[in-house]
Amino acid sequence: MRRRARFPRSSAGGAALALMLSLSACGGGTGSAGGDDGKIHVLVYGDATNKVEKQLIADFNKTSDVKAVLDTIPGADYQAKLQTIINSKQAPDIFFNWGGGSIKPFVEAGLLLPLDDFIAKDPGLKKKFLPSVFNSAVVDGKAYGIPMRGTQPVLLFSNKKVLKDAGVRQPETWEDLLAAVRKLKAEGVTPIALGGGDKWPTLMWFEYLYDRVAGPGLFRKALDGDKDAWTGAGSRKALGMLRDLVDAGAFGTNYDSVKFTDQGSPTLLANGKAAFELMGSWEYATQQDSHPEFAEKNLGYSAFPTVEGGKGDPRNLVGNTNNFYSVLKKTKHPEAVAEFLKLQYSDKFVKAQLGVGNLPTTTNTEKFLDTAASPHFAHFQYDLVKKAPAFQLSWDQAYPQKATTSMYQALQRFLNGGLDEDGFIKAMQALPTF
Amino acid sequence: MTTTSLTPPATQRRQAASGGRPPGRSGTGTGASRPGSAWAAPAAVFFALFALVPLVLVAALSLSSWDGLSEPEFVGLDNWKKLLDDPVMLKSLWLSVLLTVLGVAIQTPLSILLGVWAAGHQRNRAVLSAIYFVPLLLSATAVSVLWRAVLDPNFGVPAQAAWLFGDGNLFGVQSSAIGVLVFVSAWQFTPLHTLIYQGAARAVPQVLYQAARIDGAGTVRQFFHITLPQLRNSIITSMILMVVGGLTTFETVLILTQGGPGTDTTISAFYMYQQAFKSFDYGTASAIGVLLVLVATFISLIMVRLSGYGKMRSTMEGL
Repeated sequence: MRRRARFPRSSAGGAALALMLSLSACGGGTGSAGGDDGKIHVLVYGDATNKVEKQLIADFNKTSDVKAVLDTIPGADYQAKLQTIINSKQAPDIFFNWGGGSIKPFVEAGLLLPLDDFIAKDPGLKKKFLPSVFNSAVVDGKAYGIPMRGTQPVLLFSNKKVLKDAGVRQPETWEDLLAAVRKLKAEGVTPIALGGGDKWPTLMWFEYLYDRVAGPGLFRKALDGDKDAWTGAGSRKALGMLRDLVDAGAFGTNYDSVKFTDQGSPTLLANGKAAFELMGSWEYATQQDSHPEFAEKNLGYSAFPTVEGGKGDPRNLVGNTNNFYSVLKKTKHPEAVAEFLKLQYSDKFVKAQLGVGNLPTTTNTEKFLDTAASPHFAHFQYDLVKKAPAFQLSWDQAYPQKATTSMYQALQRFLNGGLDEDGFIKAMQALPTF
Repeated sequence: MTTTSLTPPATQRRQAASGGRPPGRSGTGTGASRPGSAWAAPAAVFFALFALVPLVLVAALSLSSWDGLSEPEFVGLDNWKKLLDDPVMLKSLWLSVLLTVLGVAIQTPLSILLGVWAAGHQRNRAVLSAIYFVPLLLSATAVSVLWRAVLDPNFGVPAQAAWLFGDGNLFGVQSSAIGVLVFVSAWQFTPLHTLIYQGAARAVPQVLYQAARIDGAGTVRQFFHITLPQLRNSIITSMILMVVGGLTTFETVLILTQGGPGTDTTISAFYMYQQAFKSFDYGTASAIGVLLVLVATFISLIMVRLSGYGKMRSTMEGL
């Protein structure tokens, strides 16, 4: 799946719907056209953050004449189902997406409503968000998305207890990491939990190594259609380092049978069977949800280790810049939709997101950081994002959808030895670009 | 072949069959008392609506480029040319056939033995048969999710049985991934075929066994010389069901392996899904669909030819 599967399993789409229906009992009908149920449907990715969205919609429905309904699509199927319904009668009014490449095809098909009119009426819809984030949902000069949820940089998570028992510290450099891997392996612990069955967790290792070794320029060039970008020395060095890591036994041997989406790899980390996991910041919420005690006491985290002599700035990040709400042109309640979107920068929303470990990118976020579920984690992330010279959008989201399957196969096969460096480079060169 | 209510009187049948065919064996005569074609209308309408029309639409779509958002665009044979050069396509056909063959090879002996056993009158037979039947009542999706969890390398059976599973990397190696797929399908579908064989074994006339016993044949000889030959038509029926099921396998692959590692378990039906709902290339996906129909038709024609299914001679001749 091209899209990040954050923490499925925990989602309860049906329950959410039922709850919404019971909450939106009063209020009376609105003058809606026939064929639609007089409500605005908000479609989001189903996971643990849904509780914030439920709360938000409940608040919205208290004052609004047009009621909102939350629909969720769990985990990995989100993009496929979205694309199937978006041009049909079942299409939602507002939907969750990843900005940029993920909505480009919809914009080109003329399905989305440019939000410039909303912004003209309420400049807050633009001004209240960090510009770098807001701009990633601008297509052809028009705004198509309002940031929701939070920014999700990929971080190196760890089990502090396992590290302590093995006498290992959270690694700061690549050499530290390799040394830690050797030591942990000797202790009989899987050094790094990897949900290789999902494939996108594997991608994160490629993204960071390429960025650290060759800088963000390589990928940008490749995405612009310069196939030679993949053959450079930086590309080979990054691949060689990754090969070293695999050969050192960092991921164990059965990572291809492990998944993040069925709680496999996070459980390995929480149980102390593995010491590290490279994962988006949603790992925090996942652990908080399924292993609250571990999340509170022993969940360690840091930025990806630095690579000596690499071209990329050690402060660079990769991951999801943010999630966005986009609006369909065919919505019958644009005023209500605009009102709903305004909630995305409200103090209440920011606090609720911080409460579940997400980091919104509104301008008022900073003053609430201390109210976050884990203030230290919130401050840490916010500083990282604020200081990062480059924030690379995940490759599978940057590339067009049809490239994803082949990309995933190449990643998996390189890691398990089915492809060598040349084979991997060839596979990446063969990917279609926009 | 005909049911009693549809069987014309013997005299008419002989007349109808007088077109040079041996009398008595033809149920295909056009006797006056055969039901009119109007009776076939409801089935024909449904078949046309839900099988033929979609098939034609898919064939048309296979000549177009469509992402599900904009209008389909006619591209001629581009999708087909691309497919013929696509190593994954060829591999997926080969994998589909391999999975089907393995499925038949494993399920057939198992279900014959179970079915013949279940046809007997042993103690506890009914209870055990009912238990064997349970997997068939579960959806393929539920079964796959269940086995995915049972076979989890860290929290499932492989973690406790390292002597058998090694590091438990069942889904990361082609041979074991295929093994899991075959096993899970067999686990789920053997009961169905057991049921077929149980019914068929019950229908074997007891006189044959009585005669064999008088001649001194033991249980094993009776099985190979009476039961198996008597089950011939059921074996063909069951095999055709297995082949059809094997070629249309999808959920187990989707949930258990997602076509991985790499493309090592990407069977044609899953490849079609990938092209349509992961890559949003409905044109190519339709071409794969049409190709799958052609291959399946070809295979079933061969099977009908080789097995004599078209004639379906009675096993009761001479009794």
